[in-house]
Amino acid sequence: MTRPAAELRAQGITVRFGGLTAVDDVSLTVAPGGFVGLIGPNGAGKTTTFNVLSGFQTPTSGSIVLGGRDITSASASTRAGLGMGRTFQRLELFGRMTVLDNLLVAAEAKESKLGVIADLLALPQRRREERRCTGLALRVLEMLDLEWAGGRRAADLPVGTARTLELGRALCAAPIVLLLDEPSSGLDSDETRYFGRILQRVNEEMGIGILIVEHDMDLVLEVCKEIYVLDFGKLIAQGAPTDVMNDPVVRSAYLGEEDDAPAVATP
Amino acid sequence: MQIFIRTILLGVVSGSVYALASTGLVLTYKTSGVLNFGYGALALFTTFVHWQLCVGFGLPVWMSAIIVVGIVAPALGVLLDRQLFRRIEGQPQIIGVIATVGLLVLLQGVVILIWGGQTKNVPSIFPRGTLRLPFGVNMGVDQLGVLLVAAGAAGGLGAMLRYTKLGIAFRAVVNNRSVAGLMGINTGVVSGLAWALGTSFAALMGILLTPRLLLDPNFLPPFIIAFVLGASVIGYLRSLPLAYAGGLMIGIIQALFVQYASSQGLLGKISDALPFLVITGALLLAPKALRAAGQGASFVVRTREAADRTSARARVGVALTLFGGLALVPMFGSASSTQFVTIGLIHSVVFLSLVVLTGYSGQISLGHTAFMGIAAFSAAHLVQTLHIPGWIAFPLGALAAVPAGAVIGLIAVRMQGLFLALMTLAFAFMAQSLFFEHPAFSGGEGGIAVLRPTGFRGDTAFFYLALGTLAAAAALAVNLRTGRTGRVLAGMRDSETACRSLGISVTRYKVLIFGISAFIAGIGGVLVGMIQEQATSRTFIPFYSLIFMTLAVLGGIFHVGGAITAGLVWGLYPMVANAFPFLYRIQLILFGLGATVALAKNPEGMFGELRRAGAAVLRAIDRRAAAQQPIDIDPVPAVSGGSE
Repeated sequence: MTRPAAELRAQGITVRFGGLTAVDDVSLTVAPGGFVGLIGPNGAGKTTTFNVLSGFQTPTSGSIVLGGRDITSASASTRAGLGMGRTFQRLELFGRMTVLDNLLVAAEAKESKLGVIADLLALPQRRREERRCTGLALRVLEMLDLEWAGGRRAADLPVGTARTLELGRALCAAPIVLLLDEPSSGLDSDETRYFGRILQRVNEEMGIGILIVEHDMDLVLEVCKEIYVLDFGKLIAQGAPTDVMNDPVVRSAYLGEEDDAPAVATP
Repeated sequence: MQIFIRTILLGVVSGSVYALASTGLVLTYKTSGVLNFGYGALALFTTFVHWQLCVGFGLPVWMSAIIVVGIVAPALGVLLDRQLFRRIEGQPQIIGVIATVGLLVLLQGVVILIWGGQTKNVPSIFPRGTLRLPFGVNMGVDQLGVLLVAAGAAGGLGAMLRYTKLGIAFRAVVNNRSVAGLMGINTGVVSGLAWALGTSFAALMGILLTPRLLLDPNFLPPFIIAFVLGASVIGYLRSLPLAYAGGLMIGIIQALFVQYASSQGLLGKISDALPFLVITGALLLAPKALRAAGQGASFVVRTREAADRTSARARVGVALTLFGGLALVPMFGSASSTQFVTIGLIHSVVFLSLVVLTGYSGQISLGHTAFMGIAAFSAAHLVQTLHIPGWIAFPLGALAAVPAGAVIGLIAVRMQGLFLALMTLAFAFMAQSLFFEHPAFSGGEGGIAVLRPTGFRGDTAFFYLALGTLAAAAALAVNLRTGRTGRVLAGMRDSETACRSLGISVTRYKVLIFGISAFIAGIGGVLVGMIQEQATSRTFIPFYSLIFMTLAVLGGIFHVGGAITAGLVWGLYPMVANAFPFLYRIQLILFGLGATVALAKNPEGMFGELRRAGAAVLRAIDRRAAAQQPIDIDPVPAVSGGSE
């Protein structure tokens, strides 16, 4: 179910909206099996960067390479096919389908090679493929402790379970690297901690690289191995969580701890 | 030069009427969120009232016009707002489309019931006479009158919106209905007024246009829909001034075509399709944000469908019983009842193509007659010109509709919801006026023969061909839904974004589903030709697309069973009506009422009701047979208010 680990590298990403430079020459790397956090105050350009990486926004300049392959101009679905999974800040589940079917769609998108003809004529292979992919989906369900919800309608799930399901759906497509957009939004602190542990397992046991954009500092500090800090569209710091948090530039720009001096945040 | 100026002037005259009506349409759309496909029928109905008053009862023409525009039309508008449009507010958009198409069908039925199907002459409200203008141009007094009245009404609306307190409330609601509501504006009053005004404008349009056009119940509504929608789309259904400008523009272009293009040549054909070319062009060029407006899952009825809890065995049992029972019809029924059931089976295939498209994948098409026609005419030509055997031409003809379907599928990638509905409707109208009305395509006056395949020439044999085809198409549809493709389509209905993030090509699946749907519709189209043993330029008129969609939703758009229910209703209605001739006259009224009223209550349609009843019976039997072991039957379908 997993593919060999690979690196996601963004080089010199710049995005301009008219005269406004939302992201200015940002480079970042998710090492094979790495766990990266992207943080910054509101309006720092995190979401824009995230959209560029996931293929929902075209950069003005810069390049993105996944596993040695240039995907700068690839569509979102092509990127997904090449091993980039993602989740959404505003959940994008298949609400009227069951939890198991949500996972099955993803597993089949990755695994099944049967075309529509096999479907229309109900060829015998189709039953076999469906069983194989259902097996994959069930394994993910089990790993995430979601067996109890398998037959439920996705739209009826509580937010915490729904977030886990969305993660599981991304996993079913066997990603090399996972991009998570504000995974803690809508979760309380217990749920956030639980979700963080799941992410660590995904990262460590399955060797999947992860990049999260996140507000919740506790979560980021606990799970990430490396942190990038954005401010006004520019990268102002990067490194291990403890180093970054002790960086005076970050403290003044982001944590706003410099009470005496005016908060001017230019590196 | 003289002719040119006169042509432009004529264009401005008719254009200002279109412009007036399209501002009325956009006004109601913006205040209530429902695009009224029945707008032309409102004009038809009110103009007939006008005719009744001035010709029937002998009132002075101007007095009758004032009564209709000032009292009858606004009252009708308020009534519709209260009784119909406010109920479907906040419902998925498809409900609005179907309800207003139902309104169109309903009002047309009422008009035909009261006044018969004949064309009437409506007197002009203006005196006769000719004015001499500079440059030696002559202009009828009535034309000047039309121009002044239309411009005056639009100007009055503009002044009201601009300078009065009510106008500000109007503009607020038009801008953002929910925020206006929060600010303490009574949006109900505003939307009631908007419908009153919009209906008045429709009446005014009818009264101003018909002296020159004739009052024809079959011609007027589609004509008005075409020009008014074309004008409104230029403002992307948002801007009143742009809608007004669009009306003028269409009027002028139309006048130029009429003056300078011969009606039989290609340009003349293009002139007929003009409003739809405008719609197509405007929509294809629309900025992305506008195209995406009114999009997405909320377009389709939302039901609780998750797991289909009817057991597979029960479904197979019901299917076998149904098809087995149908197979007995020719043995025990009369020749004529066999014929009616055959018509029902054929249309079940047509409705099935809509179930696959709208029910399974959440896309919409109001242009399926185009696919049916392309297939039927292609099959006919294959047999006649290339002498290909009928049973090969049958599927080949249907295949000819697939590329057209694929193109619409590609367009559907860029365009959603209401705009897609408009686009497909425009497509059907263009296919009609550019191809189906062309003698080389449809064989001119007498039409073209569509031969039944060898061995199926007799009515009984043809019945079994229809039954077998329906069974095969139904099996394909069920296979599609229960397999991987069906899951992807259902997923796309909920979130296209999520599909993309999983590596699923939304484009590919949209092209695929439109292609499959076009193929099934094509099969239905060839069968329609075969049962009549000919197809003419009137066999696949676009209006049927609207009725088919209405009936498919009424039967049950989510299930194969719904398509068969709708088909049998379509086929058997005339049989019942033979016994009670009155039913013939109210057929359109019943279908229209069914679609407008029943749908708001149960979006699963008649099949949903049948299934629930069936489940209740099964449950009762089960209880009696095996002690107690409660089976979870389908929950009551509920519509969750999908807004946007």
